[in-house]
Amino acid sequence: MLKCRDLVRVASDYLDGELDWRQRLSVWTHLAICGHCRTFLGNLRATTALMRGHSDNRAREALVRRIDERVAEALARAEDPP
Amino acid sequence: MDTQVTDNQEAQLIRGLRARDESAFREAVRNYTPGMMAVARFYLDHAAAEDVVQDCWVTVVTAIRDFEGRSGLKTWLHRIVANRCKNRLRTAHREVNTEFSDALEPELAKRFDARGHWQSPPRQRWSEAADALLENGALNDCLDKHLGHLPETQRSALMLYEAHQRRSDEVCNILGVSASNLRVLLHRARQKIFLMVETFQETGEC
Repeated sequence: MLKCRDLVRVASDYLDGELDWRQRLSVWTHLAICGHCRTFLGNLRATTALMRGHSDNRAREALVRRIDERVAEALARAEDPP
Repeated sequence: MDTQVTDNQEAQLIRGLRARDESAFREAVRNYTPGMMAVARFYLDHAAAEDVVQDCWVTVVTAIRDFEGRSGLKTWLHRIVANRCKNRLRTAHREVNTEFSDALEPELAKRFDARGHWQSPPRQRWSEAADALLENGALNDCLDKHLGHLPETQRSALMLYEAHQRRSDEVCNILGVSASNLRVLLHRARQKIFLMVETFQETGEC
């Protein structure tokens, strides 16, 4: 019988569809009787959705500008295209 | 955010790069630098990773003419980055530390009793709509901070798989880890972010 701790251990595999049908069945059975784990799984799913929508744009802008400058220099040095 | 590029757009972009069109480079730099940084961060600290990614783009100016299109542009770029990082590590005689121990994050493991039941269960149910969570600017700043503190291996796995939506076999290839190691890296990283969001939701503090 799956314990809460076991469910938390396989939660990412469950969300990503990496469990086989037998494991999925034991997750479903556990979720049917455990509100805490339903909350945990819902919140972990929200965490993954949050990551999907997240980007670290601001931190990246400075780097992108430096690369633009170096590429422009390299382009100026490179021969003309054939 | 990694831009989803169609084959057609990619072919057009590659033509631009081959022709050494500066605007094509500007576009490519914006599309592909995030993923390249994620790869480099797997091997190197942030400053060294930035160096390598800059050098790679300079290399691409000439190397793009040798690009045969057998893999996608993104995969090709990531391979260049990974090779450069490995060379840099080899010359620096540094080892890449990888941590693939238990799937359970210690902070979370503490919240179960001896029988494996929740002792300190999650107290609130969050909105499953990420949009609602993302509208919170302070949460976004907090997320940036915590992502920066993740071990490099976990951070790269999470960014490539989640933020850049790469398939697991691609992420394994890029990072040179097995499928089961990737599962552990992802799960550990998600648990850390989960704990961060939980603290933020409950206390408003990062």
